[in-house]
Amino acid sequence: MSATKQFWAILRKDLLLEIRSKDVFTSTFLFSIMALVIFHFAFSPNLKDLTPVAAGMLWVAVLFTSLLGLNRSFVHEKDEQCLDGLLLTPVDRPVIFLAKLAGNLIFLIVLQVIVVPIFALFFLGGLTGAAALKLAMVLLLGDLGICGVGTLLATISANTRARDLLLPILYLPVMTPFMMQVVSYTNALIMGGTAAVDMSSWLYLIIAFDIIFLLAGYALYDFVIGE
Amino acid sequence: MNTAGPALEVRSLTKNFGRRAILAGIDLTLDRGEFLLLLGPNGAGKTTLLRVLATLLAPTAGDASVLGYSLKSDPTEIRRRIGFISHSHLLYRDLTTYENLRFYGEMYGVEDLDDRITELLERVELTHRRYDTVRDFSRGMFQRLAIARALLHRPELLFLDEPQTGLDPHAVDILDGIIEELRADHTFVMVTHNLERSLELGTKAIILKNGQIVYDSADRPDPAELKATYRRVCVTGDSNECD
Repeated sequence: MSATKQFWAILRKDLLLEIRSKDVFTSTFLFSIMALVIFHFAFSPNLKDLTPVAAGMLWVAVLFTSLLGLNRSFVHEKDEQCLDGLLLTPVDRPVIFLAKLAGNLIFLIVLQVIVVPIFALFFLGGLTGAAALKLAMVLLLGDLGICGVGTLLATISANTRARDLLLPILYLPVMTPFMMQVVSYTNALIMGGTAAVDMSSWLYLIIAFDIIFLLAGYALYDFVIGE
Repeated sequence: MNTAGPALEVRSLTKNFGRRAILAGIDLTLDRGEFLLLLGPNGAGKTTLLRVLATLLAPTAGDASVLGYSLKSDPTEIRRRIGFISHSHLLYRDLTTYENLRFYGEMYGVEDLDDRITELLERVELTHRRYDTVRDFSRGMFQRLAIARALLHRPELLFLDEPQTGLDPHAVDILDGIIEELRADHTFVMVTHNLERSLELGTKAIILKNGQIVYDSADRPDPAELKATYRRVCVTGDSNECD
């Protein structure tokens, strides 16, 4: 049996479970829409142009939506101790990490495909083609970091009784420096770009964080899953 | 395939949860083809021993070889060769019977997967529920499907953790029939509280108490001696700790 086949088997199973139960999608979709609507009505009476605060609002919505989704991502595995069933199979633990990460990433991307156009409508009043492409790229890089750390920490918290409490305590402080780079880059992008050198340095930092998060998750997963 | 040596060789195996020792230096040898009964009061460490041997828990100290492979250095090789049936069925409620078995089959790399699924569903009498979501299954149906899941990859050694708990008589008959069929060329380790029923199966028995082996039959257990020891270990005053 190859690791690739096992990766696809886990990913397909997770997607199928989510399509059937809609556990993650329903709660995260409603949350992200509500967050954007509340931000819109909170700021619009005072600010005629919402563009300067748009990046912050977008990533606040993404960060807390992802938290909600990550917390639910192990629900099916804990039900009837299915995680034991998975751990009894001859699969290398990092393969489980990569498959779970891919599943979380797909959920987040599907959600953003629906939510980000609504966000653009509320807060930006339209983006140029090039800026939209760059926004898609930074969203993808941000999602990768969020899911890399989030999958690892959701696994740790899933094995505890206080998982709803533990995940935000672990996740939010770790994400803070990463989110600072992502928000700065997105803000510059939405505002029409600052000095090119500043923007690229933020981008390099985001990519560096992504690599570190993915490597850490891959290397540490064997120690955090199971017991 | 490593066919030399005993099925299980456990040396000074210890498992602590925090400061509490659940297994306190277990030594055990089991030859291939044997049927080991694991008995003892509640909290004696039976399930923990099974979970350590099935690679679900890492030992705190000591080591064991399972089918010739070390728990510490070759857990993946062990997982390929063992099956595990517990009172939890380890099945995804929102998947169908077929999808559950296909998922596990792909994880084990079973080559003739569709044929194997068909064969096992016939054996556990669930062919008619092949494409049904398992959410609404009865306890007996879940457990029958769990048996199919555990046998999918043709394991050499089966760990059974109170497999008959909550089963209807029909499911018990199916499980007994499968065990009978597999006995000739498989090794079994079964945790049970049902001494009467399991005595017919066991070729060796141990009784655990407080994480230690307090009785080891060494050979086919003498029913009278085993029952007397079991009663002595389990009964304190008016209460039976093994119920």
